[in-house]
Amino acid sequence: MAVSTVYTTQSLNSTCSISTPAKTHLGFHQKQVVFYRRTSKKGSSSGSGSGSGSGSCVITCSAGDSQTVVIGLAADSGCGKSTFMRRLTSVFGGAAEPPKGGNPDSNTLISDMTTVICLDDYHSLDRTGRKEKGVTALDPRANDFDLMYEQVKAIKNGVAVDKPIYNHVTGLLDPPELIKPPKILVIEGLHPMFDERVRDLLDFSIYLDISNEVKFAWKIQRDMAERGHSLESIKASIEARKPDFDAYIDPQKKYADAVIEVLPTQLIPDDNEGKVLRVRLIMKEGVKNFSPVYLFDEGSTISWIPCGRKLTCSYPGIKFHYAPDSYFGNEVSILEMDGQFDRLDELIYVESHLSNISTKFYGEVTQQMLKHADFPGSNNGTGLFQTIVGLKIRDLYEQITSSKTAAPLEATKA
Amino acid sequence: MATLGFNSFTITGALEKNPKLRLALFPCDKKGEKRVSRTSVKAMGAAKYKGTQMREKKLTEMIEKKVLEAKEVCEGDKTSDECKVAWDEVEEVSQAKADLRRTLQIEKKDPLESFCQENPETEECRIYED
Repeated sequence: MAVSTVYTTQSLNSTCSISTPAKTHLGFHQKQVVFYRRTSKKGSSSGSGSGSGSGSCVITCSAGDSQTVVIGLAADSGCGKSTFMRRLTSVFGGAAEPPKGGNPDSNTLISDMTTVICLDDYHSLDRTGRKEKGVTALDPRANDFDLMYEQVKAIKNGVAVDKPIYNHVTGLLDPPELIKPPKILVIEGLHPMFDERVRDLLDFSIYLDISNEVKFAWKIQRDMAERGHSLESIKASIEARKPDFDAYIDPQKKYADAVIEVLPTQLIPDDNEGKVLRVRLIMKEGVKNFSPVYLFDEGSTISWIPCGRKLTCSYPGIKFHYAPDSYFGNEVSILEMDGQFDRLDELIYVESHLSNISTKFYGEVTQQMLKHADFPGSNNGTGLFQTIVGLKIRDLYEQITSSKTAAPLEATKA
Repeated sequence: MATLGFNSFTITGALEKNPKLRLALFPCDKKGEKRVSRTSVKAMGAAKYKGTQMREKKLTEMIEKKVLEAKEVCEGDKTSDECKVAWDEVEEVSQAKADLRRTLQIEKKDPLESFCQENPETEECRIYED
């Protein structure tokens, strides 16, 4: 059954633009058909006078509306990237939910503006298959990069796709779900930047780099309450996966536009609880539509301890560092925060001294952090930098979409 | 100025605040198994449907089983492919369980909610009763 929506417009005299949503209620990029009727011209200034003359109409359509902005996020599974996702989708407004009524084990999240796809869905081998072949999920041989490329490309160009679902509970590949092109597509997983073709589709990429000590502390928090786990099993699991991780996942970080590096604090000697964190936001210079965050004076080197006369902080306090640097041969700027926020006024004080954070109003970063005060990392650099990266992505999205003007429908009459 | 309390997520921090938590961290022997699993399921928060309770239970059992398997497999050669695949499976199910726990405890939602609105008759969508 064909469904169509009819729009009427005023007469096309010279150049007139009609914007119709490229996505109808079905969410598909559909063909537009334009019906027009030429009215006779009396007293036309062109002077040909006959009134029946041959006129030609040129109608041009641009695909501007249907270009999806694609963001890649790379991290190991237990590294809080889902928290990142929630902060990111929150910056755009609206909560991200699994697709309604579909497979309950779907990994996808959808909000008004964004769709988040988990790249595990592109596993070419299910759990049994990987066991048989002796490959981990980290291994490229367990993933179908051709399909990943084709589908991300299709979505980017406004075409919906049937994407497979990898079920983490059963370890099987379930029947596909339909993914309609959103305004912003985020692909999160182990290999968003592994394949060069997929890399080229990304408008922005982020790598979450967690140091071994912090990873261990986080996985202890995650798993210790589980029957079956112990410190030894958690440690063994990290160590067994490390060779594949170092070989296949870690090398992606040199391609990232922004790396969030999480390390143990330097403020407390011999701190091994991973409670206080030192977080570095490594931002590539020269990335289109992305201007790195800085402190006080862009391109200079600054060490800043905000706690003092104007601001009282509790132990161990907060320490910032900002400097230009080189990272895998790329020019970068690094903003670093060590320590944690204890109070609201510390957060707003810090926010007021950062530049290029792409906020729409004073205190927006603080507001976003408060909104998710229960998320892990809300009191340290992980939450702060994830929130700031979210705002930078919003800024990037707005720059990209405003540079595409709405389609002018030009009717020229000879 | 308002004082904000941020949650501390470390185990040691949590234990300091509530020594009773010690009990929850140590696995029970077979005798206490039923009680522990019930307690741990109850502690997960918003589980409403039978299907969610089944998934929780399955993931918990898988973690336990796969850790034992991994230990066995790695006894021979720690660097073998079989060993790293075994621990990778442990990681996968541990993360799946943690994701489910987060949805139930922090977001206070049952992941089957929208599925069960459409399919209330299925076995999975029976309301879970203790």
